[in-house]
Amino acid sequence: MTANVLILCAAGMLVTAYLMVGQKALFTTIRLYGLQSSLLGIVAATNALSDGRNDLWVTAALTVALKGLLIPWFLMKVIDRIGIHREIEPFLNVPASLLICLGLTVVGYRVSTGFPEGTRGASHHLIGVALSMLLIGLFLMVTRKKAITQILALLTVENAVFLVAVGVTSGMPFIVELGISFDVILAVLVLGVLVQRIVGRFESMDVSRLSKLKG
Amino acid sequence: MTDALYTVGLALLQSAGLLAAAPLLKTVIKKMKARLQNRQGPPILQGYRDLSKLLGKESVRSETASWVYVAGPRVYFAATVAATTLVPVLMAAAPLEAAGGILLLVGTLALGRFALATAALDTGSPFGGMGASRDMTIAALAEPALMLGLFTSALAAGSMNLGVLVRGLLQQGPSFHPSDFLALAGLFIILIAETGRIPVDNPATHLELTMIHEAMVLEYAGPDLALVEWASALKELLYMTLLVDLFMPAGIAMRAAPGAILVALLAWAGKVFVLAVAVTVAESTNAKLRLFRVPELVSISLGLAFLALAIRFL
Amino acid sequence: MSISDVAAAGLPAALVIRLATVTATAALTRRAGACRGVALGGSILASAVTTTVAVIVIVSGRAIDGVLVRHAASGIVLSYAITPLSAWFLMVLGLVAMPVALYSVGYFAHAVTAPRTALVGAGLNVLLGALEVVFAADEVIVFLFAWELMTLSTAALVAVEHESSASRRAAYLYLVMSHVGTGCLVAGFLILAAASGSQSFPALLSGHVVFGPTRELLFVLFFLGFGVKAGVIPLHVWLPEAHPAAPSSVSALMSAVLITAGIYGLVRVCAFGLGVPEVRWGLAFMFIGTLSAILGVLYALTQTDIKRLLAYSTIENAGIIVLGLGAGMLALAYGHGALAALAVAASLMHVLNHAVFKGLLFLGAGSVVMATGTREIERLGGLLRRMPWTGLFFLVGAMAISGLPLLNGFASEWVTFQALLLGFASTPGLVRLNFPLGGAMLALTTALAAACFVRAFGISFLALPRSHGAAEAHESPAVMLVPQAFLAASCVALGLFPGAVLRTLREVTRSLPGLQPRPEMVRGAMGMTSWATRPESFDHVVPALLGAAMLGGLTFAAWATVRTGAAVRRVPTWGCGGEQDARTEYTATAFSKPLLMIFRAVYRPTRDVETLAEVSPYFPQEVRYRSAIEPTFERYVYGPLGRGVLWAAGRMKVLQAGSLHAYLAYVLVLGVLILIWLGGPM
Repeated sequence: MTANVLILCAAGMLVTAYLMVGQKALFTTIRLYGLQSSLLGIVAATNALSDGRNDLWVTAALTVALKGLLIPWFLMKVIDRIGIHREIEPFLNVPASLLICLGLTVVGYRVSTGFPEGTRGASHHLIGVALSMLLIGLFLMVTRKKAITQILALLTVENAVFLVAVGVTSGMPFIVELGISFDVILAVLVLGVLVQRIVGRFESMDVSRLSKLKG
Repeated sequence: MTDALYTVGLALLQSAGLLAAAPLLKTVIKKMKARLQNRQGPPILQGYRDLSKLLGKESVRSETASWVYVAGPRVYFAATVAATTLVPVLMAAAPLEAAGGILLLVGTLALGRFALATAALDTGSPFGGMGASRDMTIAALAEPALMLGLFTSALAAGSMNLGVLVRGLLQQGPSFHPSDFLALAGLFIILIAETGRIPVDNPATHLELTMIHEAMVLEYAGPDLALVEWASALKELLYMTLLVDLFMPAGIAMRAAPGAILVALLAWAGKVFVLAVAVTVAESTNAKLRLFRVPELVSISLGLAFLALAIRFL
Repeated sequence: MSISDVAAAGLPAALVIRLATVTATAALTRRAGACRGVALGGSILASAVTTTVAVIVIVSGRAIDGVLVRHAASGIVLSYAITPLSAWFLMVLGLVAMPVALYSVGYFAHAVTAPRTALVGAGLNVLLGALEVVFAADEVIVFLFAWELMTLSTAALVAVEHESSASRRAAYLYLVMSHVGTGCLVAGFLILAAASGSQSFPALLSGHVVFGPTRELLFVLFFLGFGVKAGVIPLHVWLPEAHPAAPSSVSALMSAVLITAGIYGLVRVCAFGLGVPEVRWGLAFMFIGTLSAILGVLYALTQTDIKRLLAYSTIENAGIIVLGLGAGMLALAYGHGALAALAVAASLMHVLNHAVFKGLLFLGAGSVVMATGTREIERLGGLLRRMPWTGLFFLVGAMAISGLPLLNGFASEWVTFQALLLGFASTPGLVRLNFPLGGAMLALTTALAAACFVRAFGISFLALPRSHGAAEAHESPAVMLVPQAFLAASCVALGLFPGAVLRTLREVTRSLPGLQPRPEMVRGAMGMTSWATRPESFDHVVPALLGAAMLGGLTFAAWATVRTGAAVRRVPTWGCGGEQDARTEYTATAFSKPLLMIFRAVYRPTRDVETLAEVSPYFPQEVRYRSAIEPTFERYVYGPLGRGVLWAAGRMKVLQAGSLHAYLAYVLVLGVLILIWLGGPM
């Protein structure tokens, strides 16, 4: 039962990652991220239920609140303020990107078979999904030009790592999770402000234009 | 103690004897050369007369010269005299053979040459510098050939120490290995080069373009010049004695009996005379080489020495 | 407390003294005089302690080990071990470092500006301390750390006069080449450590750690690493730039002792640390040694900068040392322990002798440069009158380096010759032809060195001064003369008592694997022997007897010339009727011209003559003559190498696209590849 729920949530997370790759509208991408984080919270809650650990409840709540609600709200405000709502043409077109993501998923799953089986029986899938999400997040960073998308890709990578931590193991020490959560908040805050500044100065969020600064 | 006295006495006797004989050798060669050129040549004892004349003259030295200039001829003389104690002449032992062998001999002669060349630079005259430069160049080129040639004979006899070498050769008896002839030829060329004879250098010239050794000693006069001339003659005699010891040692006395010594003396004089004739013929039938042709001649000598080594031991 | 307990505390005590000296020097930056005194006094004290420890080890024949640093918390223990071989090198170091430090007391006062005295004094102490640790290191980490410290402190000292672009270039070249060498050393030690699983030298260098092609690779790596420091061709290009650029006393240390660090490595690792050497290794060393010796002296002959001349001469002597070592390795390869001991003893003896006479020559050159303000030989002359003692000591050094009997150069070259010639008799086949060839080349080298130093001494010190600086020179203060006198006296003593040196070396060589020195090698303190299969010896030498014979000759000469002739008449030199002046003297370039012409295949000289005439070409105002020799290694080996490296770097610049996405893409691709590799077979 637990294993099924876990696998379902993990699959959902992977789907949201794929959808992020195919999205042009920034609003939708942010919403997808929120959904992804909520699913992550559900994973944590499921484990809390099955293991009977209370600190995992707090972790789940934090995840949903901070990553599922607060960060998306903040990012949407940033987009509102700078007035850019759509992603411009990425380096690779969508079909090709999706194909590559498929390949990365295969790699992630292949590697996950090398890991030992955990206590909950879903480890193989969870690690596979996590690795795939990690690679997809990196891929997003490589192929997208807008800074917001890159932030979201970074957050996706962080979600992937968190998935392994919460889903496969018994979670990290509580204080570490707290620290990580606040680190993420801070990072997003800083990045958001930075994006605003970049747009204010250069009137574009296109990161590939940074190479013009090369001497 | 008596051994030490005996050694010292023998050393003194040998060097005195060679010193006495050296001017004779020089004049004999001069006379033979003259005869070949249809001239009379100097009287046989002229060498001694020249030396005593020079020793009686006053010493004239350059104002710019320092103690190096004075020390040069004396160190050259002392080195050559010391070298004579390392070579067996009449007996199958060198008086100071405990001091060293072939390497020490070559080194001592190099010491003399270094002193003379350095002193030649002391007067500030361009002739001195030129002579020193050319002499050191030729000496440097001749060293490898000399070393290889001496080494070949040494290896055949089993020792680099001249006394042991001569005794070994005498015990082996006369042998005529082709490598001996090659080595002899090579070392003969070196003899010509080291003693400054035609075709390498002309001992009778004072023309700037042609002199090498003479340029080095151009500035010396009186007793200083006497020392240099005497030492040069002694060096020539020394080289000839060395060649005799290495290649024709028959006749050297094995015991200290007066009869054997007399025979050895006659044998030595005869062999040195033969070498002197060879030198005369070489001088009279060849023209002096340009300075930059001398390396070719010396490389022939090196090749001969190397061939001698190869033939003997491979 | 026994002697060995005291001795065991010696090296750490010396290092502590040096550390204290460096700190005190740094504190006294403002006051140059006190700074100098503290820095150099501390250095002398530390060197004295180290030398005493080294002598104790050599005399007792037993190694001393101890701990340098012990960190209780982490359990790190850095230890050192002074084997007889290390002790020999430490003794050489101390013997040269002490006179050099004393000389520097006077030299730094004139030649180094006050603000920089602290840097030079501290740098000197760091260099000497690092050298001491290099020789005594027993572990890879300690050795490499000390090696790197040695390189860096030397580079700092070379670059002291950083305003001059020549100094900067010299320091840069030195750093680059040293670091390439150190890289090879690190690679070699890593391979050894991985194979043997330990870090300590006795385990790594036991000779049974690696076999086959790995061993060959290690030989090449260690040769490259240590050969750069030793200054053998073709790794020598930094030497003629760096040694002259440093202050003269530092140059003396560099030529005399820094070279020995490289030689120490070659002996300890290449010759004795990788097992019984192969025949081709010995032949390679012999070939490289001969090449270095000949090319070194040939290039020295054409130099007119006195310090560059001495630097090239260092390359020549390093070649002779490596030649002896190669002969020893070849003998070991054929299993002749006694012959190998003789050859290695020759090599080590030359290390000592070279350090002494090269140190002396550099100190003399330093005095000359300080007194006249120029390094050009062509601007010197007549210095013997104005600087009689410096001239005398320089003459002793020049005679020693020319291998003339009664001095130490002859002694070590004699032993080298003996090893080469006996090698011919002991080895089979065509290989043995290398020995007499090596001997012939060694003879050539010695004779060329004699020519070179007749030129160096004669043109610099004799006849008339060729420039204002030379005409106004003053003798150095006593504090600079005493060390030179000590070194000159050492040259004579080591030359007259070679047997004592060889007996000491017997103990040292006995400690090396495979060497079996024979007791007959020594004949009293004053004589040496070499032997053959016959009971009679191959040759023996007692230079002191020759000295006695020469004294007899001198007496006779004095008697013959003094009793006749009255006073000496001094007249101006005949100048063919013209005024004699410095311009009619022979020049250094002219002195070496015949050799330049004869060896033009090596030098490839180019010459340029330009006449400037205003009115008509038949009445020239000025004739300009320029002559240059081809810098063969710089142009044909290092030029293309440097250009190749820069070309490759330029090609790789494409990777640094400046685009964020490109860098992220690198991370992604690498990440995927690593995952695939680590994940196992697909």
